[in-house]
Amino acid sequence: MSDEIHRLSDELAHDPSSLAFLRLAELLRRSGDVAAAERVAQRGRARHPGLAAGHDLTARIAADRGDVAAAEDAWRTVLRLMPAHAGANKGLGFLAYRTGRLRDAEAHLAQAARGNPDDETIAVALATVRAELAAAAPAPPAVVVAPAAAVPAAVPAAGPAAIPAPATHVEAAGSPFADLSADADAILIVDRDGLVLTGTAPAGQSEREAELGAHLSGVSDEAERAMRHLELGAWATIVIEAPGASVALAPIGGLIGGDAVVLVAVPRTTPLGLVRRVLDRATQLARAWLEARA
Amino acid sequence: MSAFQPALSAVMRLRGVTACLVVDEHDGVIVDSTLQFGMRGNVLAALLASLFRKARQSVAAAGFGDSAFLTLEAERGRVCAVGQGGLVLIAVADPRTNLGLLRVELNKARAGLG
Repeated sequence: MSDEIHRLSDELAHDPSSLAFLRLAELLRRSGDVAAAERVAQRGRARHPGLAAGHDLTARIAADRGDVAAAEDAWRTVLRLMPAHAGANKGLGFLAYRTGRLRDAEAHLAQAARGNPDDETIAVALATVRAELAAAAPAPPAVVVAPAAAVPAAVPAAGPAAIPAPATHVEAAGSPFADLSADADAILIVDRDGLVLTGTAPAGQSEREAELGAHLSGVSDEAERAMRHLELGAWATIVIEAPGASVALAPIGGLIGGDAVVLVAVPRTTPLGLVRRVLDRATQLARAWLEARA
Repeated sequence: MSAFQPALSAVMRLRGVTACLVVDEHDGVIVDSTLQFGMRGNVLAALLASLFRKARQSVAAAGFGDSAFLTLEAERGRVCAVGQGGLVLIAVADPRTNLGLLRVELNKARAGLG
């Protein structure tokens, strides 16, 4: 990917009016460099203000940043330029769904499905929205079904937060995981926003743990989305074995745990069976810790 | 027969495995697959490639390195995924499946991904 980024950057440097900015910004966005993607998209949009694809790109980048308003504005601009643009309707449909506007979501997704009948992700999302409308649930949906390609992944999902206290209120001392500290490099309770509630180091005093929680918490959202559509039931554990460590996640669940997860990082050499045992124990301790603060 | 079929077949032979797919990690598009009747290959591929990508990028961003083996256990099944060269080998299995054997087969097959 970096070779292509390099090549497209050169192409744009030689010809600033080139439409290569679309591909370049998309690649930067996918590589996680949202700031650079935004700069490239902004320059391209300035040169091609009437290009719907440029505004569509801007919307997706804004959605990645969690800027729902900017994403909506950009997708509405796309629809002014191209009223049947499937990507814009899909994006607006997902945003509407996330914010509980099921009627709007249904209208946009239906329009997107007409423009792109082969896109299974739209069909699945539309079916979900229609099922919820039919059920006439009084509360807005708690989670989203958007596919990764167009998904505003960083947009906070609607729904109640059941975490009893924000990270800043956690006592600095008295980690609930003291008994397990010999088995793991880090054990954290992380809330739905990726903030550490407590861990093996005092909350707020470990940048490394905060970083770990922020990076890994998004995996649980992705798992929830996948499980919902694959009929495998709720996810119970995730273990990611990487060269530098194995990381295990489990939902704490229940009214007390809400969307919080417990995250365990262990040396890569730790046997997988032991990782699961440490995770089970950490989940029990996390639940007890949260209950004590409810 | 694609180059991936021997690996897919080896994984599918394990008891309880219901689907095995080679998927493009970025687009979630199926490169090759063997599925039990009734499995929705495209949905599996899109969602699980996205989950694997998120997991891989997250551990990389956390400084643990840029390749991963993912194991997910859910109420009614298990998912294992391993990546190599932009492709992901994904296996979906029921809860009875021997996870150790599944990991061994997937790690063997990983070398054939590219």
